[in-house]
Amino acid sequence: MTNRIVIERFVLVAFAAFMLAVPWVVPALVNTFWVSVISEILIWSLFAASVNLLFGYVGLLSFGQALFFGFGMYGVGIGIDQLGLSFWPAFGLGISAAMMMALVSGIFAVRLTWHYFAIITVVFSLIFYFIAVTMKPLTGGDDGINFRLPSTFSFGGSQWSFTDATFQYFFILATVSVCFYLMHLVVCSALGKAFLAIRDNDVRASLIGLNVYLLRLTAFVMAGFLAGVAGALFAFFGRYASAVYMFYHVSGEAVVWAIVGGAGTLFGPFIGTSLLIVIRELVSTRWEHHSLIVGMMAILVVILAPKGLVGLWRDGLDRLMSRDAGATTEFGTDPNLRVDP
Amino acid sequence: MRGSRVVMIDTLLLLAMNGLIWGLIIALIALGLSVIFGLLDVINIAHGDFFMVGTVLAWASLEATGNFWIGFIIVPLICLVLGALIQVAVIQPIRGVAALSIVATFGLSLILQEGVRMTFGATPRRMLPPISGTVPLFGIEYELYRLLAATLSLVALATFFWFLRNTKIGTWMRAVRHDRDTATAMGIPAKRVYIFTFAIGFALAGFGGVVAAPITTVDFRGGVDLLPVCFIAVIIGGLGNLPGTAAAAILLSLLEGIIQTVANPTVARITSLVLMSAVLLVRPQGLFKGHVK
Repeated sequence: MTNRIVIERFVLVAFAAFMLAVPWVVPALVNTFWVSVISEILIWSLFAASVNLLFGYVGLLSFGQALFFGFGMYGVGIGIDQLGLSFWPAFGLGISAAMMMALVSGIFAVRLTWHYFAIITVVFSLIFYFIAVTMKPLTGGDDGINFRLPSTFSFGGSQWSFTDATFQYFFILATVSVCFYLMHLVVCSALGKAFLAIRDNDVRASLIGLNVYLLRLTAFVMAGFLAGVAGALFAFFGRYASAVYMFYHVSGEAVVWAIVGGAGTLFGPFIGTSLLIVIRELVSTRWEHHSLIVGMMAILVVILAPKGLVGLWRDGLDRLMSRDAGATTEFGTDPNLRVDP
Repeated sequence: MRGSRVVMIDTLLLLAMNGLIWGLIIALIALGLSVIFGLLDVINIAHGDFFMVGTVLAWASLEATGNFWIGFIIVPLICLVLGALIQVAVIQPIRGVAALSIVATFGLSLILQEGVRMTFGATPRRMLPPISGTVPLFGIEYELYRLLAATLSLVALATFFWFLRNTKIGTWMRAVRHDRDTATAMGIPAKRVYIFTFAIGFALAGFGGVVAAPITTVDFRGGVDLLPVCFIAVIIGGLGNLPGTAAAAILLSLLEGIIQTVANPTVARITSLVLMSAVLLVRPQGLFKGHVK
């Protein structure tokens, strides 16, 4: 077990080093296009993390996270295009719009659990999807709104903005890393433990004095924050905002990414998102029908690795370690997954 | 003034009728969704695509045989077989874990849509109804095929409920849904009941697809908009309450049809969604049940 943690630390450091070197290494190895693919993966994995925070840690399966992604996107888009805001106020507007929406819809949604919760989150996101489609002058509907990006920092004469691809990459990397770190802090805190208690048994959690409703609402707003940041970043990244990103299919994809990677683990959503987006990008240039591969991957992963790719990796590593040590005990392995030597 | 009033009532009647008939078709599809959910604990994201596959198969059988009517028999049968195969290959291995079922059926949905796009093509097509002509109905000329579609949907709904009440397999399905362990102990082959239930869910959606094919367009994305409506019907009707599901589907579509006389379809859709949220929050057990399960 401890060996596994050492190995995982090592992998994490190597991974961090790679991510920092991406703007130089990736163009040298493949081409600059893949730098923007990696930026996109970072943004979408933050979105998948918002599904994971709710499902993996609190046990609420939200099928409507696209709503908050869309609000983050439109906060930025409308802020810049209609209100003439500069970069940071627009960023702030996007995130706070998403969190406000999460608070308002959460007040109603977290009264329900499980299937009902999944359904009401879809319904809320559909309502605002259709509203966004109808309010074409403000939102541009399905076509969306394009806007010119203001610069991010300016000191005297020098400016940094997303037009510089390297700056754009590092800005996205830094923002996503901060969000993942915040999520890590929350998960490790007393609040995170309370979330887990609710996930495992909400009745017992309420009996030991936890305010289940308020905790669920807190998690919902936090997830709204993550989705809002992802949406705002995606608006900056694509220089546009569109109602199509509020449709339930977008939420569904995030659920798939999170579960394929491993729900209830910090990096699971990142791994699931990376895998499926990389496959999509690799195949889509050669074969028009890449969705077939993505669909099959999703099915294969849930059949072969019900705990996601991170779960598969951990179980595999634990089994390897325990065999090396000659021990017969298993660490939290699913009996269905165990392959006896 | 009086003239516009008459026109208004005419459109109201027409849209209400359209809503009612569309509601009957939705009821068929939503029933399939509900039995799959109730028995297998599978949240079937691919259910709208089952309907879409039905419309495409109707188109294909018309192309192959030149006779629309054959589709009414052959398409549900193909769907029955497809459903059984999918249950064994995809649904059985995940053993009723609802969260995994969402991912698996989402993958299935991608495969079905992309498979249809590959073979059938991406351009939406229109099918001519096998019978044309209109009949006078409450002072409006109404399309004959739509009335036939309503009749066929009603017959299918009635047959399904009759099947559930009066046949051995139907009783097994109800028994497994009620208490799986006891049913297995009594010798009911639960595994086969699961396969059959999934297959019949697919067949119902497929039949709905054939009936709806001449009314709507045949398109590989045809199921995407339909899915939320079916889920709404299942929830408003009450989870596991099959007659409630059918009633909710019909009521919702009728309501949307009526709202469309004064507002555009999107506003009508928003209204029904808001209504649905209210039902969920006030009566999560559904409109028609007295107690919370």
